Amino acid sequence: MITDYQPSVAPEVKHTRSGRSRGRRHRAWDEAPRWQIYLPLGIYLLFTLIPFYWIFLFAVRPAGSTSLVPWPMTGEHFAKVWTERSFATYFQNSVVTGVATLLMTTVVALVGGYALARFDFRGKRPFMLVLLCSQFVPGALLLVPLFRIFAELQLINSLASVVVAETVFQLPLSMILISGFIRNVPYSLEEAAWVDGCNRFHGFRVVVLPLLRPGLIAVGSFAFVHAWNHFLFALMFLSRQDKQTIPVGLNTLMSADSVDLGALAAGGIIAAVPVVIVFAFIQKWLITGFSSGAVKG
Amino acid sequence: MSSNPRRRRLAAALALTTALALTAAACGDDGTSGDKGKEGSGKGEITFWDNNGGVRTEVWKEIIADFEKKNPDIKVNYVGIPAESVQSKYDTAIQGGGLPDVGGVGAAMLAAIAAQNALEPLDDRLAKSPLKDKLSTAMVDSVRAAGGGEQMFTLPTSANNGTLWYRTDLFEAAGLDEPSTWTKFYAAAEKLTDKGKNHFGYTIRGGEGSIAQALDAAYGQSGITEFWNGDKTTVNDPKNVAALEKYVGLFKKVTPSADLNNDFKKMVAQWDSGEIGMLSHNLGSYQDHLKALEGKFRGIPNPTLDDGTRVQVSNPVDGIGIFKSSKNKTAAWKFVEFALSHESNSKWNEAAGAIPSNLEAAGDGWVQSAEATKLAAAALNDGTIKIVQLPYYLPDWNSLSKADNEPNFQKVLLGKMSAKDFLDTLAGQLDEAQAEWKKQQ
Repeated sequence: MITDYQPSVAPEVKHTRSGRSRGRRHRAWDEAPRWQIYLPLGIYLLFTLIPFYWIFLFAVRPAGSTSLVPWPMTGEHFAKVWTERSFATYFQNSVVTGVATLLMTTVVALVGGYALARFDFRGKRPFMLVLLCSQFVPGALLLVPLFRIFAELQLINSLASVVVAETVFQLPLSMILISGFIRNVPYSLEEAAWVDGCNRFHGFRVVVLPLLRPGLIAVGSFAFVHAWNHFLFALMFLSRQDKQTIPVGLNTLMSADSVDLGALAAGGIIAAVPVVIVFAFIQKWLITGFSSGAVKG
Repeated sequence: MSSNPRRRRLAAALALTTALALTAAACGDDGTSGDKGKEGSGKGEITFWDNNGGVRTEVWKEIIADFEKKNPDIKVNYVGIPAESVQSKYDTAIQGGGLPDVGGVGAAMLAAIAAQNALEPLDDRLAKSPLKDKLSTAMVDSVRAAGGGEQMFTLPTSANNGTLWYRTDLFEAAGLDEPSTWTKFYAAAEKLTDKGKNHFGYTIRGGEGSIAQALDAAYGQSGITEFWNGDKTTVNDPKNVAALEKYVGLFKKVTPSADLNNDFKKMVAQWDSGEIGMLSHNLGSYQDHLKALEGKFRGIPNPTLDDGTRVQVSNPVDGIGIFKSSKNKTAAWKFVEFALSHESNSKWNEAAGAIPSNLEAAGDGWVQSAEATKLAAAALNDGTIKIVQLPYYLPDWNSLSKADNEPNFQKVLLGKMSAKDFLDTLAGQLDEAQAEWKKQQ
């Protein structure tokens, strides 16, 4: 239903005491010495970057070196994990798992989120409650039942088992987030599309979907990163060397009595790079997405 | 949303049916739980889970290639399982199905897996095998004891031994003798410490895995050789209490304060890359030391008392077993026999720096040239070490010796709990677990 649009009148701006004090605070902030800003940020950055430097150092310095600078550099650890330790295969499997989880989670969350945002149905509130509560169930608790279900479905040792399990565990939060984004899109826009001859699906596709880009990127990237890093399902459902993923591969670099720190660091960098790249490209949408959808349930 | 009551009922019925079908699938028996398996034809595929996957993958793949060359009608699928997760992987597979035909099972988790009736007893097969009388009796006894005492569920592949690694370059520079006795050990730890220069005499294990090392130090100094005195444990014997008090007194005095959270990874990395005189760890880290400190270190069995008595706690013996659910036990046994043959067992243990279970392999040239392994093997086999057998057969041993008591040991290091209270608590738990175990026998 389309209602008459009543433009709201902007309230007259009054310079109150609090407004003036805010202004003073802004000026004080602008006039603050640069070091007061950069010193805390620098300290924070140092704490954040030192562990990464340490990983980088171990990854590129030769075995047995105790040098604190990465020189001379060697690629032997990367070559070792990539070829001898099958990281090329693990990487490929992780990409397949991550992308498939991203797609399935996004599509199903979009459909479910739309239903939650636009329809009222009996049991909606309990359903939302169950969705929220499902976040408190640890995956380890469901390992045996999931294992048996996947065994019945002949999905053990197939990447599909991990994709399905990851999607199922990602969906509740993703649906809640997406429904929040959809609620932010005025219903009247869809109604206008219907008046112009669109059906519900077409109206959704041309009017609502383009406005959901930040939300879809937030949900999709969250699903990808979670699937990329998740260890437990891949360890339990995949018992073939050629099906295992990066987190399992990383764990095999630590044996019961010895650990190859160079290989472990190189493996860690290989595991981290895709996640860093994903975040570098999507961070602006990610921040918009989470801030606009997360708190409106 | 559909307002048609028929369609709504249909949807509800469909949802209910799906839920019930999934529940039935989850609760149904997939045939592996309690499955007795089959002997099989001795041909075809078998799956092998390596309980220490990754670091030993290359040598296992080599052994598997040799086996497949000799047995062209058997294919072995190798799966490397991370050592830290292998227990949960086995537990899930026992409950949910999907166990391998053959698997590596260390003595520390053997009791828990055997208690779930998942492993095939191997006594009869061994009695008819060429391996009979070729495996170390001490190791065979150890895996038999860990499995409950009556049957043998795994064949031992290797043993490890507590080793005191020390930096020969630092000892020479300080004019110190090798730390062969506890008296020399404490003196060296003190002399090598110069906190201002970040030099320390010793690194103590305060984090994960600390209990076994603490017990090794306590029994090693007290000279007590039995873990049980009747139905009561000897861990809180006054001699052990005094020994542990002296040992934890090293913390921060001659060790880095960060040792509070040391697991073996941090401890070994710290020793390999720093200026620390001594490290207590088993033979398993030999290759790591070799890479980092070649020519600058030695590994000797733990120190003796001043009268020459050497007491150490037992290290878990590694082994491989056949799972009851295997559909091809004949082929699985062929693989186990091959893995424990002279050549394969020697190859595997040389890569791991461990003591071979195959007696012929234990006499090979590489054992003589790998000094730490040679000394450990000699000390174990010539009877100069008195081994305190830790109760790996207790299903609760893993939790008692790890998560249940490691935080308390950290309190002892920090001076928030006395060594006596710590050992008394541990003793109470052990006595209870032993009584429970006896009741179930």
